[in-house]
Amino acid sequence: MKRCIIIGRPNVGKTMFALQFAMYLGLAQPRIAFAEAGGRRWEKEYDIGSALADLTGSEPHYTRQLQTLRLELPAGKGRREFELVDTSGLVDGIHPDATIRRAMAQTLAAVRDAHIILHMVDAAQAGRTDAVQALGEVDYQVAQFAQMRGGYLLVANKMDLPEAARGLDRIRREFVGHPVAPVSALYRQGFHEVKAFVWRHL
Amino acid sequence: MARSTVEPRTVDEVLAWLSAGRISSGEAFALFRRLETAAPAGDAPGAPDDERQQQLAAVMAELDALIGLEPVKELIRELQAFVEIQRRRAAERLSTEPMALHMVFKGNPGTGKTTVARLLGRMFQAMGVLPRGHLVECERADLVGEYIGHTAQRTREQIRKALGGVLFIDEAYALARGGEKDFGKEAIDTLVKAMEDHKDELIVILAGYPHEMDYFLSVNPGLRSRFPIQIEFPDYTPDELFQIAESLCRQRQYRLSPAAALRLRRLLQERAHAGPYSGNARWVRNLIERAVRRQAVRLVRRRRLTRDDLITLEASDFEEAKVPGAGVRWSGAQARTGVASG
Repeated sequence: MKRCIIIGRPNVGKTMFALQFAMYLGLAQPRIAFAEAGGRRWEKEYDIGSALADLTGSEPHYTRQLQTLRLELPAGKGRREFELVDTSGLVDGIHPDATIRRAMAQTLAAVRDAHIILHMVDAAQAGRTDAVQALGEVDYQVAQFAQMRGGYLLVANKMDLPEAARGLDRIRREFVGHPVAPVSALYRQGFHEVKAFVWRHL
Repeated sequence: MARSTVEPRTVDEVLAWLSAGRISSGEAFALFRRLETAAPAGDAPGAPDDERQQQLAAVMAELDALIGLEPVKELIRELQAFVEIQRRRAAERLSTEPMALHMVFKGNPGTGKTTVARLLGRMFQAMGVLPRGHLVECERADLVGEYIGHTAQRTREQIRKALGGVLFIDEAYALARGGEKDFGKEAIDTLVKAMEDHKDELIVILAGYPHEMDYFLSVNPGLRSRFPIQIEFPDYTPDELFQIAESLCRQRQYRLSPAAALRLRRLLQERAHAGPYSGNARWVRNLIERAVRRQAVRLVRRRRLTRDDLITLEASDFEEAKVPGAGVRWSGAQARTGVASG
């Protein structure tokens, strides 16, 4: 099964996007498979409201393990299944917390065998400050790494916020040559483009 | 952050460095890129893997060549198998047991603790568990400082030296000496924190006399769970000690004359009933080294010397050597450990 992974810095809205995107594709009761860096695994079934309440938060590093959702897209007469993997945020520099460092290592390991990489950045943040500050070293390295492989889409999130339009321009300038999809994970806007991209690469 | 010039060579190493806090996630991506462009073969780094297998085989052979220590060898083989299988499971993305490889070595002086620790470091390096696999030996005096705050600093210094390898703390029970207000406690706390922070690049081994170590672990209940592997080093039997003596002679290109062999055996037998610290290989080494020096004195005035004379240790070379530790002070590092634990 093909795997689509969502990565990005902490608090750019990866989990929110994963859950809303799952709902957008018609999954009302997501069953989420969790995998901790330490090796613990478990599964849990949610309805979308409780998933959003339980799994997203406003502080960074809310997600500390891989969270996998199984989704399908229509393909020809049938349907094509794929896994959507939500990950722990990547930070610049050396994080003091060993748990978070291990979670990041787990994220990177998963990136290596993903077929599609959705790289999420915070457009509102990029609009408020400047792009270089809002996008860390890790964002540039991800972009360069992903250049060598297909199936890489930059997702500029939080487009519902007023500063985001300016941020989007900056992001497009910074990552010339990479496709950028503006979305609002919170309001499920712009999902069509992401869906089309995923569909093309399955 | 001090960075070594060595770079991780495999994806697993990159991930280990990342979780150990040696590189940032951005650097990890950059390394991925370099690895993928350098080796288009992807996940099959043939040569280094072969090299590692050979290294591992060499270490295991060395372990097998050690005289006696059968329970220790068995435990180490178990450990090696466990680590190997956990790694393969991880490669198949199966769930893995967390690997806490910190250990307690319980045994009298001269029972092979340091030797085995050194081999373990190399073994884990060959298996890819430790990046460097070297051994840093220290004791209370290296860890505990003289004023408040000094201890944490000194302990961290030792830990820094040991990163990527094994930190071997000899006579670790001495850290519990002196009660609550002693700085030894601070050293333990610093150590425990470092073990947490550098989970994937440091193995700590606490060594000491069996009874003292048992007491030490009982007054620091948190330690027992952090050092899940306990290895007991039995005293050597007189027979094993004799084999050790023979192999030491061989290594130095000496030979025991039949009379010397007999006398050595008798000395070892006498010693066997001489209290709890009898099975001591270090004492045997000192005995041999002393005999070598006495032989030199015996021969130096003779005019004619055959090759045989130069090789043979006679019974008279073992005279007076009954007092353990006597006359070894001049021989550098050995004297230090010999005197400290003798």
